[in-house]
Amino acid sequence: MSPMSRSVRKFLRENGLGLVFLTLFALAVVGQAFAGHADFNNQLAADDLQQVTLGEYMASSDFAVDVMENWQSEYLQFFLYVFLTVWLVQRGSPESKNPDKIGVESDEEQRVGPHAGSDAPRWAAAGGLRLKLYASSLGYVMGTVFVLSWLAQSITGVAAYNQEQLRQLQAPMSWPKYILSADFWSRTLQNWQSEFLAIASMAVLSIYLRQRGSPESKPVGAAHTATGVEG
Amino acid sequence: MPWRWRWGAAFTTGAALVLTTGCGTVAERRTAAMDAALDFERALGARDGAAVCAMLAPSVREEVERSARTACEEGVLTEEVPSAAPAADDIEGVDVSGRQARVVFPADTLFLSQFSGGWKVIAAGCTPRPQRPYECLLKGG
Repeated sequence: MSPMSRSVRKFLRENGLGLVFLTLFALAVVGQAFAGHADFNNQLAADDLQQVTLGEYMASSDFAVDVMENWQSEYLQFFLYVFLTVWLVQRGSPESKNPDKIGVESDEEQRVGPHAGSDAPRWAAAGGLRLKLYASSLGYVMGTVFVLSWLAQSITGVAAYNQEQLRQLQAPMSWPKYILSADFWSRTLQNWQSEFLAIASMAVLSIYLRQRGSPESKPVGAAHTATGVEG
Repeated sequence: MPWRWRWGAAFTTGAALVLTTGCGTVAERRTAAMDAALDFERALGARDGAAVCAMLAPSVREEVERSARTACEEGVLTEEVPSAAPAADDIEGVDVSGRQARVVFPADTLFLSQFSGGWKVIAAGCTPRPQRPYECLLKGG
């Protein structure tokens, strides 16, 4: 085997999780585009209107709002999970830390500032504002993507909603009215409820159930009461 | 160019393409919808049945022919749609969303949809009703 193919295999082996999920994401978006296009054209046909091409559909607010409403809820889920697990625990869950570690923990435990090792990220050793930002960077990024994708949902949502209103010979709505509308909150909450249920299920079921070899589970033989132990 | 900027430039270009290709920019679609609405109202004011029918969506033309039991060009002039010969300044409001539009004149409200041959009227002679679709004298079946 050449050094090149060895390094490719090594890269794939060490990045399989990210690569597989990015591939699944791309396949799912393409599938959503085809299915959504067919569904959208069915609606246009029912109204005796001209159908659109796949490209036109993918550039439309109808496609964009369906993508954005799912993105915002996923990033909200991770944003809340990252922040709330600092302060909230679930005894017996591998998703939780031990109850005696509730809070942001000491600098020594977090290996920051003077306690940072030689291989620590530079901002972890820096202190001051840089450390403050870096110490919450995962949550900040998740929260920012959530806010931006929720905003994008509202903008594409009002365009898609108004397009349907006009098709049905009804008056369109302004953005401020739309963000208080049933359509906006129905789209939003139907996604939120499933994300919250998924987190609650994972936090509680992982107390009693196991998945051998998965870091999301405790070791198979670990006690139900063992908290913060990953397999 | 640093790779971060390249990604930024690619994203901005992509977003701009999405917003400007296919159906044209919002401003272009708005102008095209207004022009089509003006053409329709002028043809109606001039009692030019052929020109009026050329501006109607296929389903509306069919409905006119079905209800009047004659050719669209004749049948459409028997409908009591308010007509005028308006100028662009007479337009009281234009709403364009995607491939759909509403154009409000002092005496009439039109709904239009984008077809491969341009914007066509899907409903005319429309008056608003609270919490319900507009009531329209001319629309598809």
